[in-house]
Amino acid sequence: MQGTKVVRPFPFFRAGARASQPQLAKPILVLEDVYKFFRPDEPTLRGVNLKVERGEFAFITGPSGAGKSTLLKLLYRELMVDEGRVLFCGRDIGRLTDKSIPFLRRNLGIVFQDFRIIDHWTVFENIAVALEILSMPQRLIRSRVAEALERVGLNGRGDEQTSNLSGGEKQRVAVARAIVPEPALILADEPTGNLDPHLAIDILTLFEEINSTGTTVLFATHDHSLISKRDHRLISIDEGRVVEARQGLKDWPGSGIHTLVG
Amino acid sequence: MDVKSAMTRARRGLREERRLYVVAVSSLAVAFLCLGATLLGVTNLDAAADRWGQSGRITLFLKDDADPQDVAQLRVVLEGLSDVREVAHVTPEQAKASFLEEADVGADLSALPKEVFPASLEVSLVNGVTRERSESIATRLGQFRAVSDVESYGSWFQKLDHLLWGARMLAAGLALLVMFCVIAVIGNTIRLAVARRRQEIQVMKLCGATNGFVRGPFVLEGMFQGFASALLAVLALLAGYLSLHESVDSTLAALTGSRVVFLGVWTWLLLLTGGALIGAIGSALSVRRYLSV
Repeated sequence: MQGTKVVRPFPFFRAGARASQPQLAKPILVLEDVYKFFRPDEPTLRGVNLKVERGEFAFITGPSGAGKSTLLKLLYRELMVDEGRVLFCGRDIGRLTDKSIPFLRRNLGIVFQDFRIIDHWTVFENIAVALEILSMPQRLIRSRVAEALERVGLNGRGDEQTSNLSGGEKQRVAVARAIVPEPALILADEPTGNLDPHLAIDILTLFEEINSTGTTVLFATHDHSLISKRDHRLISIDEGRVVEARQGLKDWPGSGIHTLVG
Repeated sequence: MDVKSAMTRARRGLREERRLYVVAVSSLAVAFLCLGATLLGVTNLDAAADRWGQSGRITLFLKDDADPQDVAQLRVVLEGLSDVREVAHVTPEQAKASFLEEADVGADLSALPKEVFPASLEVSLVNGVTRERSESIATRLGQFRAVSDVESYGSWFQKLDHLLWGARMLAAGLALLVMFCVIAVIGNTIRLAVARRRQEIQVMKLCGATNGFVRGPFVLEGMFQGFASALLAVLALLAGYLSLHESVDSTLAALTGSRVVFLGVWTWLLLLTGGALIGAIGSALSVRRYLSV
């Protein structure tokens, strides 16, 4: 990264950045008594308290409409909290100005169910955009994209048109775009929702590999077959409230998987 | 904003939306052509007025009973003035002959008595004499005993001034209209492009792009459209000028003593930069509302 002109007003947000010891000791994400209302009498999230440590992998689950996506949208500031605080690396992101939001998002990698990749761009262009935003020189972009493609299993396919890829491959491109700027936190919103079970496991494994390098991953899904296969921390949202299990379904306090995903 | 990256993305945008942009640029080129043609008209009127203004004439009509000695003395005075190039004495007979030769009223006017045509002194001024100076000379000459009336063509110049003022107002009005056209057309074109590239914008914003990063290529695309339209219009005008000026020049030279001139360098530079600037403004305004992703 030496000699590059990368705009990062919050350098300590970046994975791999040399943050100070006090910063590293802080949880990467803290939600304090968070409320979100879409209707005045019916909060989507009610008094959510949550703490996510650096390097954790956590499933966020719950029935459709429970507020999983709302929770994630609060984290990348597409939505604002109505009450409470969301602290990312100790900073209250609810107090960021509109101009600061892009710099928050540069420290996050976001993956969606519908991939959100541009079909008429090549695989390379779809991934490189995340680095062009950081004003990286082309030479560095090329090497970083090649590296990301290798990590997601699409080595050497940068020149292909994205429209020719399968669903699973498109999601891999989306994952590559999310990881290429080396974010501190990856938010995956139902990333396997459009994939068949076999591909879903592949993508989950990919996220676990990314997590093994130290990146924190929040993986929202309502697919109980995925959750049941892994012992990651489980954060379930139901009727706006959070119930947690430290080691997946083994620890689950409810009466079974049905209370978890509806 | 990283200009290099914005230019790369603008190039891609222009390539992807080329049909849309070709239509927009052609429509705008017509608008710029109208403005350019009006400016060309104003430039030529200005040139003609300038030329006529600098080759001034004064006619001194002499009294019927003017003493020939007074006329001769007046002529000597006139020829002594540094602003005067030439003085010609026109007798009533010469005036009548000249009138009968030039008049084309379809009736026999040869029976008109020669007294109808007063004798006069036609004074040609040297080049560069201003209109004000010409008026001042005329006023002083009107005080001579032998002079009954003085014509300095001031009212004619006043009419020309009005015509020029009208043409300039027309050009200003057209410039304003063209500006609105450019903002509206480029604004709508960019709005269409933005709608088609909404997903790209959304992806970029989610990856942490600033508004400047997203806006950059659209502003460059708008700038290019404005510049290309103005350039097309200037080239079309130049082509028209080159193909017509030779045939028009001789007629115009005979009628007004001046030749057709093309837009000055500063005028067409202003058209090109103005086109680019207005294009950029129109584009920036239309993108602004789509940035809250």
